This record gives sequence, structure tokens and C-alpha cells, in this order.
Amino acid sequence: MTTILVVDDEYLVADVVAFALEDAGYLVVTAPNGRLGLEAVIRERPDLVITDYMMPVMNGMELASALEERAAAGARRIPVVLMTGAQRALAQQSPELFAAIIDKPFVMSELMRIIGDLVGPP
Amino acid sequence: MQQAPLPRLRTGIPGFDVLVGGGLIEGTSIIIQGRPGSGKTILANQIAFHHASQGGRVLCATVLAEPHERLFQFLSTLSFFDRERVGVDIQYVSAFDTLRSGGLAAVVALLRREIIRHRATLMLVDGLLTARGAAETALDTKMFVAELQGHAAFAGCGVLFLTSALLDDGSPEHTMVDGVVELAEQIGVARSSRWLTLRKTRGTAAIGGRHEFEIGADGVVVHPRLEALLGFSPEAAEMSNPTPEELTAELAADRRTPRVNVAIEGFDHLLGGGLPCGSGTLIASPSGGGKTLASLCFLAGSTLAEPGLMVGFFEPPVRLVRKGEAVGLPIARLAGSGALRFLHCGLAVRSIDAIGHEILTAVFDYGIKRIVIDSAGALFRIASNPGRVVEFFFALTSVLRQRGVTVLTTWETPDMTGSTSTAVISTDAASGAQGGLWSSQIYSSCDNLLSVHFDDRGGVLRRILRVQKMRDSHYDPQQRELQIASDGLRLVTTAAL
Repeated sequence: MTTILVVDDEYLVADVVAFALEDAGYLVVTAPNGRLGLEAVIRERPDLVITDYMMPVMNGMELASALEERAAAGARRIPVVLMTGAQRALAQQSPELFAAIIDKPFVMSELMRIIGDLVGPP
Repeated sequence: MQQAPLPRLRTGIPGFDVLVGGGLIEGTSIIIQGRPGSGKTILANQIAFHHASQGGRVLCATVLAEPHERLFQFLSTLSFFDRERVGVDIQYVSAFDTLRSGGLAAVVALLRREIIRHRATLMLVDGLLTARGAAETALDTKMFVAELQGHAAFAGCGVLFLTSALLDDGSPEHTMVDGVVELAEQIGVARSSRWLTLRKTRGTAAIGGRHEFEIGADGVVVHPRLEALLGFSPEAAEMSNPTPEELTAELAADRRTPRVNVAIEGFDHLLGGGLPCGSGTLIASPSGGGKTLASLCFLAGSTLAEPGLMVGFFEPPVRLVRKGEAVGLPIARLAGSGALRFLHCGLAVRSIDAIGHEILTAVFDYGIKRIVIDSAGALFRIASNPGRVVEFFFALTSVLRQRGVTVLTTWETPDMTGSTSTAVISTDAASGAQGGLWSSQIYSSCDNLLSVHFDDRGGVLRRILRVQKMRDSHYDPQQRELQIASDGLRLVTTAAL
């Protein structure tokens, strides 16, 4: 079973993405910010993280950096997909952190294609 | 003792800062309220982007379910929106999930940390109504507002609370904050008007009442009520009584008032030398009476040193130039040299205050000395509240006169023919008691009153001009025929009249 963690402070976005992924057959966990997302990674051991950029407490960039540090310390490397609109340029300054960047607003089929490429079908 | 001025956060919204004494007080908390679609979000985001452009840091927190991306999509149609700043010095975070899971207290705790994390100097909290819905008692909402602004104040951060709830003056939220800005919209058949009211402004001598605003490609532009901004009203003018010395000086200056020529043959003679410099004149006539032509004759005396301005509503500049040229007036040459300028205002969605400010700007920028307003009736048509046009007109012409600008205003009367001396006032009273009252108030606010009416006796239609009033000046009470020919306008004494 492939588990995907969706991290977004905008509950509507997180919910919509989560429902679509569940319908596709993935197991989904959501978190409202980077800090809680990191806790969920440790707890749920997801195969993929989809995260927003701008969030309270810890943003998507900080979350990706934290995951990178964990990987460097020997933890399993988890691909991170960044959902962003305005901050693509900021994120591209550290391309190594993200497996893919998808611009908001996006259509779900595009996100599904990216996910399929990264972790395969559910 | 002179108190030190409070430091201000400039909003960058044209017309708004002047209403609140130069800007919002730094670290202040303000409620911006208005129904959905009233422009709250644009106003607040415009302030945010301006603040960021001045080196500030902004935290935009929403307690709403609406995705930020949709907000960015529609903000991106406005010139102030700068995508590059989003996520850098303007952060958008959603506290909706926190509110759902932890309630108002958790939102306060979250935002308190976010203010510090982003070193925010301004915070927007959108969705006070949602917060209110989550509150169990009115006291909870009051505590929410109080705690948030308390935390923000200690961090040197101002707060703008946005809400679509129409909170009244006694609501707990209002009692807590330093200021309340209310936005409203009235949708009419042909046009809608928006206005802004400052309901509460602690620490600021704000200009109260309604001020119209527009939302265009650059965002919100506020048009402060001209008469309020200038501090002029008929009442205020009457209250400023001069001392005996001031009166003597004023009288001496008055006697030396130079005259301004009008390029109508025989006109200056009729008025004892021309229009007194810095006076306000109204020329009233029915359609076709020659008001606009007479106005152009007045503007024909404009020079580069003392330029003129034609404020028109009906006829575009090109037509005015042709009209002047048809009677031999050098309008094209004057316009080409810059001695004569045009301010063409359509009758569409403009506020009279926008026009007033444009006129004053032209006067300050170009040193305009002669102005024609063609016509005052258009101001009544444009105004969303015609009842205040008289105050507006009085304030505008008072300032113009103070600056030595000679003003000629046209006024269209509905009568086609008539010869009695009361024709002007009695006939447009027929357009309604209110209209009659307005016109008599407009007349009395002018120093000089000229009228033209038609006389069709003998089967020939003639324009008859007369001076109905000249303030503090001699004039020839004999009425004259106004003749319009290709070589100019002239006044002729006709025995038959």
C-alpha cells in the first residue's frame, strides 16, 4: 500500500487533494503545517510527501530541508512534491530538495501523473 | 503644549492617507468591514503590498476556507500585486484548520508565533465573521481581538481585521480596536457607487462622513469629499469674521481688483471693465443660448503666463476647438501652446470629488487663472448624492477664488423663450422644487450672474443677454442682443427690445 502525506494549511486544498488520492487508491495522511507534517512522516512513514510552500509554523521549504537532513543521517529518502504558485523561483534555488514542483492552480490529472511517475500506481 | 505626532503607516492608497491624517497610526488595529464584494480584500491587500514595498513585512492570515491561490488569481489583475513578494515579505497563511481543531485560543497562539517568525510589521486577519461563528460568547470574540492585537502591539505590528459582518458601533469588536473603516456599495440602474466611511479613528482627526471610492486597474482610489477636505462650507465661511484691520485691508485690496477681459465685443463695457479677477460668474441660458461659446470667448484671453482650463462634460476638446474656430477665436493656437488646457469628463462613473481634485491639481500644476465649468448641471447628474453638490461647488469655487482664479460656470435652464426678468429662476423651478432650490443656491454662491434667453418677437429668434447680478461692482442694467457671427460674438443695443 502506497502512503502519501499531504501538507497544506489550507484545509480545502489538503482535503481536495486527499480525496482525489484516496479515490485513486492511495492511503492518505494530511497535516496542516510543516512541523505537524514532519511528525506525520516519522509516525506514518509515507512513500511520498506533497506539500504547500507558505504555511504557518514551518513552511514547505523548511519541511523539505528537514527531510533532506534526515535522509543524510541515514533515514529513508522520501520524494517531495511542492505545490506552489508564487514561490516556484524560491523553491528552484534548492532544486535538490524537490522531486517535482507543480504550480497552483493545477488540475488533478496533472498531479496524478506526477505521482504515478514518482511512486507508481497505488 | 505641542504633542509629538504619532508615526504613521502610509497606506499608499490615493486619497486615503489624507483622510486619516497622513496614514494609519503604526501598530494600530483597524477593522475593515463591508459586505462581500465591497472591496475589503483589495483595500487590505493594496495596503499590504504598499507596506512591503516600503520595507515592511506583512502576515496575511485567513480564517476562511477560500484558497489563497484564487485570491492571487484575481489580485493578479491589479497593478499593485507583485507575485515576487508573495512568500518573501508577504506571507499568506491559513488558520482555518487551526480554528477547526483548536478554537480561537489556538488561532491566537498560532498567529502570535507567526508574527514573530516572519518579523511582521503588519498583519491582516481575514474572516473575523468566521471567528465570531466559532466563539461561544461575545466575550470570546472580544478576547480574540484583544489578545491578537495585544500580541501584535508588543511585536510592533499593526493589525487589519477584515469582516463581512456589518458590526455596529456597540459590538465588542468595535470597542476593542483603534479604528473602523466601513466600505459600502450602492448598485443603481445605470451605475453603482462605492463609498468608505471612517467610523472610529482613535488618535486621529479624521475626515468623517462618506467618501466615494473607485476600484480600477490600480486598485482602490478614494475621492475624499472635497468640501470636507477643504474645510469649506457656507456655514464655516460665515463664521470666520474678520477683525476691523483685516476688513480694512480686504476692502482696500478689493478696490484694486483687476478685471479679466472677455472676447465678446461690448461685454467688458457692460460689466464695467470685464469680470473681476478672482470672481465667480454663472451664465444661465437654455440650450443654444451661447453659453459654451461665451465660455470660449472668456478662455480666449488665456496666456502662457495665465493659462485657462476648460472643464467640459458634453463636448470633447476637438469639438470645442472647432466651435471656437467657427467664430474666429484662436482656440486651436491657445490649446497648441499650452495656454489653454482641457479637462474633459464623461458623465460615466466618475465622482464629483474626482473631478474637483483634478481641477485643483491642474490649478496647482499649471497655475491656471481662468476656469470654465461647462456645466454645473452635469455635477448634479454625476453626483451620487446631488444634495451635496451645492456645498461641493461652494468649496471648490471658494478655493479657486482664494487663489485668484476667475471662474465662469454655465447653467442650462429649461425654458426656450421668455422675456421676464425672473425667467431664469422661475422656469427651472418647474423641474421640481428640489431642482429649483439647488439652482437658486448655486446662483447665490456666485458673485456675478448673467442670463441669456430667447426672444422670438417679430418672427426672429434673438438671444438676449443681461446682467442679473454683479457683486460689489457697477454694471449696465440694459439688456443686449448677443449676436454670433463667423468673426466673433458681440453685444448690440437694439431699440426694438
